[in-house]
Amino acid sequence: MYASLVNLGLAGLGIYAVLGLAFAVAFAVRGAQAIDPAAEQGTWGFRVLIVPGAAALWPLLLLRWVRGDGEPPEERGAHRDGARGGGA
Amino acid sequence: MSQGYRAVGWNPQKKTYDRVLGLGLLLYLGLFVGVGFALHPTATAETLLLRGLGTSAFLLLHGILCIGPLARLDRRFLPLLYNRRHLGVSMFLLALVHSVFALIQFHALGDQNPLVSLFVGNTRFDSLAHFPFQPLGAAALAILFLMAATSHDFWLANLSAPVWKALHMLVYLAYALLVMHVGLGILQAETSPLWAGLVLAGLALVLGLHLVAGWRERGLDRELAPGDAGLVDVCAIDEIPEGRARVATISGERVAVFREGLTVTAVSSLCQHQNGPLGEGRILDGLITCPWHGYQYDPCSGRSPAPFTERVPTFRVVLRSGRVLVDPTPSPAGTEQVPACAEQPQ
Ligand code: HEM
Ligand code: FES
Repeated sequence: MYASLVNLGLAGLGIYAVLGLAFAVAFAVRGAQAIDPAAEQGTWGFRVLIVPGAAALWPLLLLRWVRGDGEPPEERGAHRDGARGGGA
Repeated sequence: MSQGYRAVGWNPQKKTYDRVLGLGLLLYLGLFVGVGFALHPTATAETLLLRGLGTSAFLLLHGILCIGPLARLDRRFLPLLYNRRHLGVSMFLLALVHSVFALIQFHALGDQNPLVSLFVGNTRFDSLAHFPFQPLGAAALAILFLMAATSHDFWLANLSAPVWKALHMLVYLAYALLVMHVGLGILQAETSPLWAGLVLAGLALVLGLHLVAGWRERGLDRELAPGDAGLVDVCAIDEIPEGRARVATISGERVAVFREGLTVTAVSSLCQHQNGPLGEGRILDGLITCPWHGYQYDPCSGRSPAPFTERVPTFRVVLRSGRVLVDPTPSPAGTEQVPACAEQPQ
């Protein structure tokens, strides 16, 4: 029981990681600037460094890329939300 | 920063910092293996390296966790905080090599997948003396990976500082897992109480510093209520030191009320970079300067000077009979305020 759970979990993690890595390469080359204009001028060193993070957070980044967000999200917090007249 | 991302924003200070760190770690590993061989001539190099890497990562983690409260207690520790990110990434790399060594040494010899073996090799969860301590290390490593992988400024901007910070607060969970990984591992490998004592001393240090730093800030997060005309009375103008701020909690978060000469301004105290405490910074060259990594903001508008694009919310300030009154309604980040001016030097 425990052993099959471990096997299942590791297999799931493996699939997530392989998909993530494939995504991350495309993201580092094309996607980063699609969601954050400051990445347009990003160096190659920068692109290599964001690969592990992109592989880990790929569902979120894929969503933003597909949605065409174009800009990083705005920071939230009591003061910022209060000033926008919305939120808490 | 939003200036076109680079791999590492090295400057002379960071280079010195990283050189000292790299040399220190090499020296530690060399000493650990050397002294280890001298004391235990029968030990294998693999075992010594495994332990040297594990302990160096664990020690570094103690340093990383102590820098925060130390810098709050004494400003002389702020330079250590400046490049804490490189400490974190180095710690992760050391821990990663330790883990890979352990996987090879203890789990790669059978016909089972080493990762499966790591989790099913020992299932004595009901025994303290034989508890499977290695999966605890693996869980901690997963957290350290997430932190190291998201340490670039790109992730700060794209997760936004509060989310990024929440993610990086997981370091405390990783630390708890590692105290158990190391504590239970030592229980199984060592008979001398010295090592267990050291782990406990480290835990006491980390907890103690956080408690003392928290104690010093007690009361700061008590929300100040508005009085007459809906304004919040923060303090007397001469209670604010020159070029510095008085911090008060207004409208749910901390506000930093700065004084430079006779003018008083107020901004939300959370730096847009890593949500560092602007209220603990000072005004340099007319700009509020974050104590953590030196991001700057105009005190009246809450805007970073061009070409930077950071902005923090601002507050309207009124001076009345020497008292500093703040309008509790935050203005959108980057809103220019007319600074309040005291009439005469006192
Ligand atoms: C997959 C992850 C990990 C595995 C498989 C693993 C495995 C091991 C093993 C087998 C030992 C006992 C070594 C011995 O007694 O000779 C050990 C000890 C230790 N580990 Fe880990 N570990 C992992 C993650 C970590 C991480 C992330 C850290 C982070 C700082 C760490 C720090 C330590 C320390 C300080 C010791 C004590 C060294 C000693 O016994 O002298 N480990 N680990
Ligand atoms: S938190 Fe990094 S500069 Fe303010």
